[in-house]
Amino acid sequence: MRIGALKDSYGADQALFDTAVQRLWLALGAVALLAFPFAANDYWLYLACLVGIHIVSTTGLNILTGYTGLVSLGQAAFMGVGAYVVALAETKLGTPFLLNLLAAGLVTAMVGMVVGVPSLRVKGLYLAIATIAASFILHFVFQNWTTVTGGTRGLSIPPAQLFGLELARPFALYWVITPLTCIMVLAAANLFRTRIGRAFIAIRDRDISAEVLGIPLLRYKLMSFGLSSFYAGVAGGLWAYFFRVVTPESFPFVYSIFFLAAVIVGGMGTILGGILGAVFMTLVPEALKLVVGLLSPWMPNAVALLSPVRTIVFGALIIGFLILEPHGLAEIWRRIRRFFHLWPFKT
Amino acid sequence: MTITRRQALAAGIAAGGLAAGIRPGLAQANEIVIAGSIPLTGVFAFAGIGINDGIADYVKLINEAGGVSGRKVRYVYEDTAYKVDQSVAVFNKLTGSNAANFYYSDSTGFAKTINPELNRKGSMIMAGASFATELNDAKAYPNQFIAGPDYSDMISVLLTYIAKTQPGAKIALVNSDTEFGRDPIATTEAMAKKLGLSIAEKIVTPPTSVDVSTEVLKLRRANPDYTIFHGYVLAPLPEFMTQAKQLGLKTKFMGTFWSMDNSLWAKVGEAANGFMGVMPYRYYFDEDAKAPMLAKIRQMRPEYVSTAYMQGFLTAMLFCEAGKRCLDAKQEMTATNLKAALNSIKDFDTGGLIGAPITITGNSIPVGRVYQYDAARKVMVGQGDWINVSKPS
Repeated sequence: MRIGALKDSYGADQALFDTAVQRLWLALGAVALLAFPFAANDYWLYLACLVGIHIVSTTGLNILTGYTGLVSLGQAAFMGVGAYVVALAETKLGTPFLLNLLAAGLVTAMVGMVVGVPSLRVKGLYLAIATIAASFILHFVFQNWTTVTGGTRGLSIPPAQLFGLELARPFALYWVITPLTCIMVLAAANLFRTRIGRAFIAIRDRDISAEVLGIPLLRYKLMSFGLSSFYAGVAGGLWAYFFRVVTPESFPFVYSIFFLAAVIVGGMGTILGGILGAVFMTLVPEALKLVVGLLSPWMPNAVALLSPVRTIVFGALIIGFLILEPHGLAEIWRRIRRFFHLWPFKT
Repeated sequence: MTITRRQALAAGIAAGGLAAGIRPGLAQANEIVIAGSIPLTGVFAFAGIGINDGIADYVKLINEAGGVSGRKVRYVYEDTAYKVDQSVAVFNKLTGSNAANFYYSDSTGFAKTINPELNRKGSMIMAGASFATELNDAKAYPNQFIAGPDYSDMISVLLTYIAKTQPGAKIALVNSDTEFGRDPIATTEAMAKKLGLSIAEKIVTPPTSVDVSTEVLKLRRANPDYTIFHGYVLAPLPEFMTQAKQLGLKTKFMGTFWSMDNSLWAKVGEAANGFMGVMPYRYYFDEDAKAPMLAKIRQMRPEYVSTAYMQGFLTAMLFCEAGKRCLDAKQEMTATNLKAALNSIKDFDTGGLIGAPITITGNSIPVGRVYQYDAARKVMVGQGDWINVSKPS
């Protein structure tokens, strides 16, 4: 039970983690993340890495869509840009792994800012269509700029190297993906304690009012696109090192919808929402597979017979969450936390 | 009986392990495991379901006959929805909890992605739903093979047939704008030139295109004798054929394996009449030769089974044959030994699934036959003999 949180400075009031209990849970979480690779098999490590990559990309989209109110359906194509940058840097230049990731983020940020130019004139569905168009253009480039992208066959990438170690397997990549994910999520959370982050929120809530308040819309909207794309680029770069083959078909349009769904299901405009949304969208299909697998002893063809049902259940779960909790999984999490604030005195 | 705290803890851990998909003790030394990333949902589900049935049926047959050199075969699989990330997850899950000797892959993307890990493991060989030319390279993909001809070989079968039937014929190529669709274009051009055939038109369409009127007009201008489609399953082939017939074009339409399922064309009806294509396997209903394995399939499944089923069935057969040869030679079942055993297959009788004895020297079986759809009888009818397009080594 928590009676209250005493804050005696503005700094304490703005702190990301303001209670000892919160910090304790965070420390426990960090220990769990550190211990996880030693307890998990390749399958769970693979999923953990994939979740990490999805969290980075979803957080990026959350900055743009959740916090700035600019709908984008180009996140997968932006990830593609990052993946190709990494593939080219690794194969043609042989530059270090972390530098390649940074380059992927920066190049994608620039592409994102160009794509974001229409956002000054259009928003909502119109902007969504503009980003879809941009994503088709990018896919066309991936497919047809054969000399650079390898055309439809794409590019194969050697394993990442860090301090002489080969990062080929999920166990090794986990130690890079997880810290990077944590840093990027923390950076995003921190962003919304700054003038830039507050400007994004002001634009989302009412762009005209924001402009009246002295927020230059073009600069901040492009900045939001740039930041969001930076996250997508880094996620795409990690994706490239993780799967080590990049083709135009690696980042289909439906992948963009996956990230938008993750933002909405998780809770738009909350950092925790981005994390929970990415976890939900990645792990729930796997959890449903597990349930189907558990039925196998009683139903020999369970996997074949129930796979279509599993897809329906996943869709129904998304619809159910949207209807029952439109503020997303983050709101459910908040309610659970509030419950324990006064537990056991008030239940 | 009382349960101690330790026993309860062990039971809890075992239950947790089971729930987490970790199944200790399931992998037995005296069994052979075929694992598979199978697309039971998603855009490729139409094939995945057939592939799954084909593998499962062959495993059932071989186990009823005593297994492979006395070892039972176990087939484990999971759905991938035809997504590479899910296929890799399934691979990690199944190979982590089963000592897999063979693996079925669902796509070219997955086959390329998992290749380094497959080579690193060195414990299994892989085949799958992809006939990509790129995979037909034993140096780059030493532990993989294609249970049939690659896409370039399929086109070679068609061109060989055309060159024989109508020397000097004009050909148009229609390919979908995907990795799958663009796969054989370069080799098709080279092969056509070699056989004295001319390429009159090359059309690349989006994979989901519906309105093909401008493309049909291009065909009309080129007036080819044969139009070869590749990179599609069905759409937009019927649209092409219907519009071409309306314009009075005499061109004969051809396709490759994934466009050749009989039930697909039966639904199209009259417009499908005369459609030709290459098939690496016999059809379910083929009775024009001695094919005991087809008879067994018909016995097990009284209703028509798809071409994808045949692909899965033959893949499982080749897996088991490689395993048998490896065990009979008293060799350890490593990827290298299994692949060598597979490559020792020479003039092998598939029980009539393929109409000619097969030899696997590299990563594929470069054999196929041209079939033509007869709309009146609603069946694909074999044209000419089986064609072997293996390159001289």
